[in-house]
Amino acid sequence: MNRLLNGFGAIRYFTLVATVSLLAACSHTVSVDGEFPAPVGSPHPLTVGVYLSDDFRQFTYSENRDDREEWNINTGRAQKNLFETVLGSMFKETVNLAQYPSNLPQGVDLVIVPEVRELQFTMPRETRVNIFEVWIKYDMHAYNQQGDSVAEWVITAYGKTPTAFLKSQEAALAQAINVALRDAGATLYTGFERVPELQAFIASKERALSMKQPGDNE
Amino acid sequence: MKFLSAFFSVSVLALLSSGCTTVVIDEYRRSTGELALGDSVVILGRRHSSDYETEPDLIDCVGKTLHNPSAGVNVIPEQQFVDAMYPWFEPRTAPMHIKSLDKLMDIPDVRDRMEKYGVKYIVWIDGSTETTSSAGSIGCSIGTAGAGCFGFGTWDKESDYEASVWDFRDQELSGKISADAQGTSYMPAIVVPIPLIARVQNNACKGMAAQLQEFLLPPQSASR
Repeated sequence: MNRLLNGFGAIRYFTLVATVSLLAACSHTVSVDGEFPAPVGSPHPLTVGVYLSDDFRQFTYSENRDDREEWNINTGRAQKNLFETVLGSMFKETVNLAQYPSNLPQGVDLVIVPEVRELQFTMPRETRVNIFEVWIKYDMHAYNQQGDSVAEWVITAYGKTPTAFLKSQEAALAQAINVALRDAGATLYTGFERVPELQAFIASKERALSMKQPGDNE
Repeated sequence: MKFLSAFFSVSVLALLSSGCTTVVIDEYRRSTGELALGDSVVILGRRHSSDYETEPDLIDCVGKTLHNPSAGVNVIPEQQFVDAMYPWFEPRTAPMHIKSLDKLMDIPDVRDRMEKYGVKYIVWIDGSTETTSSAGSIGCSIGTAGAGCFGFGTWDKESDYEASVWDFRDQELSGKISADAQGTSYMPAIVVPIPLIARVQNNACKGMAAQLQEFLLPPQSASR
């Protein structure tokens, strides 16, 4: 009798292992870990605090729908690298903030806080085009020294990779995300001055600096 | 045993041989090549289209084939240049027309870096290689006596590329080169599949690189 029960236990155990293995076979994990070049251009005359929250640094997009396999896509590390590199080159000085709004250092003109609003992707079999595509949308917030909102704007980024270039779905998607992140960096860099509130903020800072300079020389 | 060794020799020979490819190169030239000592050429792929992407390996192939410092052609690798000029040559920001270069050159740091690289020509390559049709079938089976494949497969590939040559210093379009290549690959399978691959993209790359060398160098250097 004990042997029979042991036999049933073994069958149950193997069924469980088989089920878990099958489920694991249908789930995909992608960890994007890109390095990005520093932009070429003149920095804005601002001292900027950059606050990347823990959610942002460890961002993982998870999707488990009936019509799709399970995907867990971690872009946190790559987007942290991107924003630190791009924002680090955009301004005269940048300070990476471990917390916000408390303990804000003196002399910071602006604090920039990015947030991921949305990440979407399509696979070649869904679009019938041999391309993996990724869209990422960021909500950008800029605050002044007092914590008041100066500007809010949205960055949209797009990346694609043809299937022929890569070995696996995960590698293809990781590459498309890296392309999208490069695009986000390009949009952040080239679009910053086009946000009217930020344009006015930079202009007022430049005016203040130009008025200060003659006095400094006296 | 003799039969087997003969069979494998035939298979290796077949693997080394390839399907036929035809390449047609057209050229439209507005000025003669002026590449001088110390000048560099950048070869970049267009990536703005939503349904295809100029293959990075094609750009790499043209760059490596064209790069010949002893003949006076110094090619900057695409990724190195795009990284060095970030974010001004990304799909979203790259200049689409020669006139857009003016705006880019208004940024002093960009101008300085381009001058540091000694860029004389920017070559934009746009296009892709696609499988246009395929036919046939191959079946493989495995049994106690062994395994084997039987059948026949064939597929056609077409490359269509256009290279626009921009003279960066004179800010003008120097000319265009187009490369159209097509070829048919075959795969007969008698026990072992024997691929006879037409290297369509590779032949388009070599044809374009040879034409670009002639295009970019001054007439007397090109004939060397």
